[in-house]
Amino acid sequence: MKRSSKLGLAVVTAATISLVAAGCAASTTGSGTGTKASPVTVTFWGSYGNGGNSTQQDALNKTLIPAFEKANPGITIKYTDIAYDSLLQKLTTSAAGGQLPDLVRADLGWVPQFAANGVLVPLSGSMSDYKTLAAKDYAGNVSTNLYKGKYYGLPLDTNTRVLITDQAALAKAGVTAPPATFADLQTMATKLKGTGVSLFADSGLGAWNVSPWIWSGGGDLTNPDETKATGFLNSATNVQTIQMLVDWYKAGLIPNLITGNKGATGTSDGLPKTKYATIFDGPWMSGIWTGQYPKFQPTYSPIPAGSGGSISVVGGEDIVLTASSTHQAAAEKFIRFTQTSAFQIAMAKTGQMTVEPSLADQQAQLAPYYKVYSDQLKTAKSRIASPNQSKIDAVLTTTLTPAFLGKTTVQAALDSAASQIDALLAGN
Amino acid sequence: MALTSTAGRATETSSVARPGRVSSPRRRRRFTLTPYLFLLPGVVIFVVAIIWPAVSAFQMSLYHWNVFNAQLSQWSGIDNYLTAFKDPHFWQSLANSAIYMVATVIPQMVIGLFIALLLKKKSPVQPLFRVLFYLPVVTSWVVVSLLFKFLFDDSGLINFTLHDFLHLMNSDVSWLADRWSALVVICLLGIWKGIGWSMMIYLAALQGVPESLEEAAEMDGANRWQRFRAVTIPAINPATVFISVMLVIGGLNVFTSVQLITGGGPVGQTDVVLTYMYTQAFNFSDFGYASTLAVILAVFVFILAMLQLRILRTRDGEELA
Repeated sequence: MKRSSKLGLAVVTAATISLVAAGCAASTTGSGTGTKASPVTVTFWGSYGNGGNSTQQDALNKTLIPAFEKANPGITIKYTDIAYDSLLQKLTTSAAGGQLPDLVRADLGWVPQFAANGVLVPLSGSMSDYKTLAAKDYAGNVSTNLYKGKYYGLPLDTNTRVLITDQAALAKAGVTAPPATFADLQTMATKLKGTGVSLFADSGLGAWNVSPWIWSGGGDLTNPDETKATGFLNSATNVQTIQMLVDWYKAGLIPNLITGNKGATGTSDGLPKTKYATIFDGPWMSGIWTGQYPKFQPTYSPIPAGSGGSISVVGGEDIVLTASSTHQAAAEKFIRFTQTSAFQIAMAKTGQMTVEPSLADQQAQLAPYYKVYSDQLKTAKSRIASPNQSKIDAVLTTTLTPAFLGKTTVQAALDSAASQIDALLAGN
Repeated sequence: MALTSTAGRATETSSVARPGRVSSPRRRRRFTLTPYLFLLPGVVIFVVAIIWPAVSAFQMSLYHWNVFNAQLSQWSGIDNYLTAFKDPHFWQSLANSAIYMVATVIPQMVIGLFIALLLKKKSPVQPLFRVLFYLPVVTSWVVVSLLFKFLFDDSGLINFTLHDFLHLMNSDVSWLADRWSALVVICLLGIWKGIGWSMMIYLAALQGVPESLEEAAEMDGANRWQRFRAVTIPAINPATVFISVMLVIGGLNVFTSVQLITGGGPVGQTDVVLTYMYTQAFNFSDFGYASTLAVILAVFVFILAMLQLRILRTRDGEELA
């Protein structure tokens, strides 16, 4: 792209953002919204800069927030970046101390937990245009904000897991295309035995890790109401799917990274080094490899399909409003701003996938691999919406690991997991 | 004692400054407030930073504590304690803490004393070695924990040395994939990092051993080992008691190294009480149960410290710590 074209695009983007931000300003009136006479400061916590990523913070702090503030005189957005690993702890202690910010970019897994404890404002009740805004987003992402009939946030950005392969490893297995089905993986498994290359690698056995296998295999985690796991998680279909993984593990085709070896080579290193042939991961990997392995050219493709199709798991963040906020009207204005195409595309340029399917094509023009993720998101499902999601992850990990290590059968492991998750769901 | 003397002096000074006045007993009592005023800042800090949180933790342990809204907390009585005593993971984490404590305290003391004996002798390089041995103590736990993690990971320097270089092993070992080998790594870090502290305390204690006693023992025909056993060891006993009590307390409170090297994994196998407590509090938001674990550990540590002091009391019945 020519320099003049880039400049032009930047000007158009800035102008669009300003116009949209101004539009948001015009749409809401009322006390506490912030005016020139009585300005308000809306505090916003997130982890855009996690891992030293300054691009996303810069887009937010230097382009988007100034555009919003310019269009909404009297409202100042004060963004604080907190490392992702510390954010939940910081939010918990701040909630206990009554020091929460107005807005939080929360991992979608945390929303039910905070909602259950009365920390968040149900936006479906406080924002009259909530339905209109939510209707533009992926249904799977919107559902992550649902707790007991109310929606406590709006999707801010999204991601999912797709199959990423290393071409050199595929060549060792004698194949040219990434595996499209479980059967293809099985074929690759046979060919990779003894080559020193693992068929598949993952860093755990929580819901984020095993759900794509279970759903693609034709099984489910719970009943549709998410009130019972027994009869679903421990179904014969799921036993067959997990047994397939266990067999690969025992054959040395899945490294012990999956069973919690913190000293094993991570997926982000193992794939470019041709130690692992395939992994499931999100769109952020591209940025990591561009910096660390500039010559590595990964191939992105859908999750291999089993009898249930190719189904992945929804990830991402939601924007939520805290109940302790004293500037709710102003904060809601900023929430509306985050749902605009200008905001979504500006962040997509920095690696944050848009939550609006109508912007998928525009996003795919930024990087071709986005299309694979967008397509995968159309069928992706969200994890169990429960305030006990962390405990459910722990249950899955602690019950499935012994099955991988040969200390129990897959059926017994899933029976135990289902029974424990039943108790957690009953406690919701 | 020093404060009492100061108070006494303050009273005398005051009397001298106002010779015409008759000091009533009540007035003297008011003057004795001075030492308490000096004590006040320390006491306030102690109460605010130690006593109040400890009492709060005990209070939280009796509830299904809602950290987000304390008013929604539900009274549970001793339920959390009963859960803890029936929780196999708690007992495993307590066992891991105890294993770490036993495995690190004795080597730190023995090696620390050995190095202190070596460094006691005057030498031009002695200050350099003191600094070198003390360096791990002042190094950040985070830094050295990550360093040990990298050393012992599957493609780390330890595997390279033992497998690829010295050919002592047939294949690489996943040190952090198994409970026992991972605990060995964590204990090695604890020992390496703690030796310098024991060494410094012992070094100070050794310099206080009267030379006359050594000389008298030597004149009585005692050899080096006999002098060490009969003179040095008893003379540094107060330091030994102090070091052992402090290391036992510190050992049972191990957290950072475990959290950073294994994260309590694989599957909680290397969890110690504090990492398990952290998981309950910050991953599961179960602050009531986490506080229960904290209270149980505090009681356990207190009893152990009291037993140590009682057992290690000198034959004369003198309290040494």
